[in-house]
Amino acid sequence: MKKDSQYKLDIIPGVILAAFSIWYMAQVPGIRVFKSLGATPLTNHFIPYLWGSALLLLSAWLIVRGILKYRRFKARGGVSEGASLWAALADKREVIGSFIALALYVAFMDSVGFTIATIVYVFAQILILTPTARWGKNVLPAAATAVVAGFLLFYLFRVVLNVLLPVGLYGPGL
Amino acid sequence: MILEGLMAICQPWTVLWIAIGVAVGIIFGAIPGLTATMAIVMFLPVTYSMSASEGIAMLMALYIGGISGGLISAILLNIPGTPSSVATCFDGKPMANKGQAGRALGTGVVFSFVGTIIGIAILVILAPVLCAFALKFQAYEYCALALFSLSMVVALTGSDMPKGLISAVIGALLATVGLAPIDSRPRFTFGLYQLNNGFALVVLLIGLFAISEVMAFAESVRREQDYTIEKNVKMKGAGFSLAEFIAQIPNAIVSALIGVGIGILPGIGGGVSCMISYTVSKNTSKHRELYGTGIMDGVVASETANNATIGGAVIPLLSLGIPGDPATAMLLGGLMIHNVAPGPLIYEKNGAVVYAIFFAMLLAAVFMLLFMLWGMRFFVSVLKVPKNYLLPIVMVLCGIGAIGNANQLFDTYTMVGFGLMAYLMIKAKIPTVPMILGFILGPTFEQNLRRVSQLASSDPFWNHPIFCVLILATVLVVIFSARANLKDAKREEELNK
Repeated sequence: MKKDSQYKLDIIPGVILAAFSIWYMAQVPGIRVFKSLGATPLTNHFIPYLWGSALLLLSAWLIVRGILKYRRFKARGGVSEGASLWAALADKREVIGSFIALALYVAFMDSVGFTIATIVYVFAQILILTPTARWGKNVLPAAATAVVAGFLLFYLFRVVLNVLLPVGLYGPGL
Repeated sequence: MILEGLMAICQPWTVLWIAIGVAVGIIFGAIPGLTATMAIVMFLPVTYSMSASEGIAMLMALYIGGISGGLISAILLNIPGTPSSVATCFDGKPMANKGQAGRALGTGVVFSFVGTIIGIAILVILAPVLCAFALKFQAYEYCALALFSLSMVVALTGSDMPKGLISAVIGALLATVGLAPIDSRPRFTFGLYQLNNGFALVVLLIGLFAISEVMAFAESVRREQDYTIEKNVKMKGAGFSLAEFIAQIPNAIVSALIGVGIGILPGIGGGVSCMISYTVSKNTSKHRELYGTGIMDGVVASETANNATIGGAVIPLLSLGIPGDPATAMLLGGLMIHNVAPGPLIYEKNGAVVYAIFFAMLLAAVFMLLFMLWGMRFFVSVLKVPKNYLLPIVMVLCGIGAIGNANQLFDTYTMVGFGLMAYLMIKAKIPTVPMILGFILGPTFEQNLRRVSQLASSDPFWNHPIFCVLILATVLVVIFSARANLKDAKREEELNK
């Protein structure tokens, strides 16, 4: 952990969470209130406002704490390190790749079916989690693992345990 | 009736079904995303053709195996297999990281057994008394209990209190999605019918633990590392000495009592009992600073409590016909299918079946101990599978768990969303564990607070001594935990200087 980024870990989440809590509370008036017999004095708006305002207050606490940390940091003569966004993203390419693979897996599972989607996802995810220098040795084992996992898990959960896994366009065989 | 119940369980087929139930339950519990509830749901039709004793015994075995199996993935992968084993990760995984995976598993298994036995003993001896006590819990008491349990967040947050509280509030806020309690008006569903039931706890857990574990590994891919977690895992007996076992007995008894207490109260369950007992164990320990670094005490507290919750949850199920959590709700269905009507008259009308259930639970606990101790060598071999191969398979199993939870693909989308949220929270140094408490307890708090708002004018709070005691306890927990947190924060600051 770089010392100079400590205040950022308070200010940035604080601002994002404050914005989210404001957005959340702005949705509350749209909730229909039950007013007939048996209605409670505290309506279904109360708790969302309670949690929303609690989050707003805690976010404000974080922001203020972050600003104080920033002032202390500046008072000690600290200089913020300017990091390029692209460099930071490139540094996290395996994480971004994993999220994209996972998102595509769940997005296409319904249309292409569980088995094919799983084979492609497991293969891609194994390679993402393997350093590129070792890909050569891992391509075949990764492919074999993916194919076995795809068919075996489909059979076990769909056929044996009746979990409604998507069959997809190509039928239950795939 | 006792002998009749014992005879019913001693039949070879019944013993076999119990053994199968425990084994299947352990597998379901060990796989992240698959829960004891799902195991019971999937195997309920299998019991249709069995006798009442056989069928119910198998369902109980699935329940006990399912709750116990969760510790395996919690310790080995840092991904709780079931919500009941969330707190097992806190010290179980650090123990595994220190090369003590076998010791952590042995501790978890043995104290799961101890917790189950204490829970069953209390169930057999004190069921009528505890039911009478549980019936005193109404809106005021539940509201205060939820508040008391939420106050544990302050203890769980550690030195950074605002971030811990933020996590708990986000959890409570996520729990407001879906139909509102009491009036069933949709909130924050944005017209999506899939959100009417709100987010599922198991899906949130997958996002918070499983996906974040994959991403943590993804971050380290380019570092030079050994892809197997552990190669030489030494296994000797249960992994700990008799002296260590004896030293843990007070911790186990307190945790078991907390587990049973939480278990008898509907709607709370093992996910909360393990965290509360962990927090209580930590706060009352002489070496609280060691919690979270990989000590036996944390695993003992969590695993004893979550298994004791089983006995607790069965008390209102049998004596009042009130299920405490989704798993016991399915067990209630199983009892009814086999013409056993739970309620105050169950001992008179189906006494033999009730005793058969008690014996089945005992036998299931013994099978659980044997299977898990015997299987530890195989479980530990998971650590020898390269993580880059293991984690994608775990993710697929999590996806299956998310789909199987409500048989809808939509839950996999929320799973990914929660995973992204958890990753960003971890990057922002916001702890994710308090979120689970907020998520579980938020709806209980809201429902009962709104009921209290109806009752307040005719039935003031001072008529409810349990409410007053719980509120006082909440205030004390907040003060003492906040003070301890401030001390920790100061110590950390001095160390940083």
